[in-house]
Amino acid sequence: MKRRSSILAGMALAWVVGSASAGNDFDYCLLCHGANANGNYGIRAPKLSGMEPWYLARQLENFAAGSRGTASEDGSGHEMGPVGLRLKTEGTLDAAVQFIGKLESKRPAPTVSGDVAHGRELYKNCASCHGTKGEGNASLNSPALAARSDWYLVTQLVNFQKGLRGADERDTYGAQMRAIVATLPDEKAITDVVAYINTLK
Amino acid sequence: MQKRLSRRDFLHAAGAVGGSTAAFRAAMALGLLPAVANAQRPELGSLKKPKKVLVLGAGISGLTAAYELSRKGYDVQVLEASFRAGGRNMTVRNGDRIDETGYPQVCNFDKDPDLFFNCGPARIPGHHKELLNYCQELDVELAPFINDNRNAWVQDEAMFGGKPVRAREYFNDSRGFIAELMAKSVKKEDLTGPMTAADWEQLREYLKQFGELDPQFRYIGTARSGLAKHDYAFPDQLKKPLSPSELLKSRFMFIMSFGETDDQAAMMMEPVGGMDRVVAGFMRKVGHLVQLESQVQKIQVSARGSEVTYRRNGEYVKAKADYVLNCIPMHLLAGIEHNFPKEYSAGFTAVPRGKLFKIGLQMKERFWEREGIYGGISWTIQDIQQIWYPAHGIHRKKGVVLAAYTFDQNAGEKFARLSPADRIKLAVEQGSKIHPDYGKYVETGVTVAWHQMNHMLGCAAQWDEALWKQWFKTLQTPVGNHYLMGDQVSYHPGWQEGAIASAHHAIADIDARERAAGTVAA
Repeated sequence: MKRRSSILAGMALAWVVGSASAGNDFDYCLLCHGANANGNYGIRAPKLSGMEPWYLARQLENFAAGSRGTASEDGSGHEMGPVGLRLKTEGTLDAAVQFIGKLESKRPAPTVSGDVAHGRELYKNCASCHGTKGEGNASLNSPALAARSDWYLVTQLVNFQKGLRGADERDTYGAQMRAIVATLPDEKAITDVVAYINTLK
Repeated sequence: MQKRLSRRDFLHAAGAVGGSTAAFRAAMALGLLPAVANAQRPELGSLKKPKKVLVLGAGISGLTAAYELSRKGYDVQVLEASFRAGGRNMTVRNGDRIDETGYPQVCNFDKDPDLFFNCGPARIPGHHKELLNYCQELDVELAPFINDNRNAWVQDEAMFGGKPVRAREYFNDSRGFIAELMAKSVKKEDLTGPMTAADWEQLREYLKQFGELDPQFRYIGTARSGLAKHDYAFPDQLKKPLSPSELLKSRFMFIMSFGETDDQAAMMMEPVGGMDRVVAGFMRKVGHLVQLESQVQKIQVSARGSEVTYRRNGEYVKAKADYVLNCIPMHLLAGIEHNFPKEYSAGFTAVPRGKLFKIGLQMKERFWEREGIYGGISWTIQDIQQIWYPAHGIHRKKGVVLAAYTFDQNAGEKFARLSPADRIKLAVEQGSKIHPDYGKYVETGVTVAWHQMNHMLGCAAQWDEALWKQWFKTLQTPVGNHYLMGDQVSYHPGWQEGAIASAHHAIADIDARERAAGTVAA
């Protein structure tokens, strides 16, 4: 009787186990980063859609190489590290970037508030690379800042400041950010400048 | 002459309980307290005409709702994002996939019915009646689960130089010490209530029994701590009591009552062959209603019904329903497009996600049984926190031990950051503090970092009093025809019984609405 019931149970489960089809693989991105990769604050996964393909690719390479996301305090970075490595070793990194590029990007609702006027002053230091409208500048390797997850901008500025990002010498552009972030002396300056970035269109 | 608790005293105590119950009933009758929701499975009415129900997630709550509703004329479809049903009820055996973001693994245990690992729930207390009822109804065979084994080890660097001691020694030597200390220090004249001088002798007697003190109220050791040698051709020889000051140095005192808590005390049970026999039982009934690999992207609720958009094989698919029962973890729901009211959806990100972590190792010999350990848990004040020994397959050659199960969010994160191989390495290093030859028995292992598992990205929702007060009612209350479910919407997160309670709560509400609309057959 015992044997019979366990065999039956095994059969019932057998058909459930299938393999994920190829078409679904990048859906894993959406699991964390939300529908259309527009970000999910619930698990601190930033909006990816609308990011420049060259910027996405570089960051995935950085995660794969361990030049980003390995500082012990960078919990979210650690979660992304093995994903970057997996995409790199499976040779699907570029396909993932393409997948993100096809998604419908939506401007995220602002979550950060601050002194916008003060932020505008501070942003002058940012504008030379990232553009007066936060539109980014590929020739300077500077991604767009407008219409990103604002809480993520804050997190990354803090990470640059603390040396959780940009401290690895292989991350050349991160190192540049680490230097310039000194113009934002404290958390208030960071939220102010992000509050201003929220106004850019 | 010993003073005993008199019958009058007893009646007084019983009266006090009766009094509060009476007061409770009266308060309820006056409408001061909400009526206690029926904890039993709701008796649903059969629909005259089917209503379409979409269940999002084939975990325990979703399967429960699908099973109950589909029997009563509801047209149910279950959409599951993963390649497998069960949610966090997950058992792995030879060849099974562990679908972790970044670190996918395959279980390489030998093909053997006893060599499995329960990655999520692993034990059922005797009072989880709803789950036990389903086990009975769905032919899920149960066996006793050993949760508390006084022969297992307790280990902490802070005591005895890190040398492990038997649990029975920690429990009984510390109790003996506390009992002696109290028996010696409590003076008759100090007792001024709730006990009085008249109770002094009775109290001392209790302490004597509590710690097994000698007639002079000294603790000189007890067989409860185990004998120095079990050679019954010779007289019993007690172990020398362990140093009380060493025992009290350990943070084990914060864990030692674990096996006495409501949900962890004997009698505990486990399904024979793995916890996922529960899932298999439900799937035998509703498997045909479950569609796998369907990841929800968008939910639009409206008065006329709801529309759910999901991705399947790289395409977007739309489905409409009269009711949506949503078991998606709230922290993932926060990233899905929806038109919920802000005051509802703000709750999705309010409750932190759990980061529990487990490792299962296949051992080539059941070496722990040679140490007199049959089932149960050894505890250690290290990241791995516990080692579980299987109660099934006793005296067989191999066994799968649980080699890490941390309740600590930080330890969970620490493990999750390592590669599976390094996680196992760390678990073996720490386990070797308990069993010196631990590593040499390890053949293969699986690691489960729940907050990195696909389609979950978290374990039990980390509710606390303040969050419950602020958010629970809001999240439990349906928005139109949309109900949030799962153990996350119960006062018992992290337990299947909580998941079932959430499903029963939702379907009972649906039933009430249908009855009110007169759509239920008489």
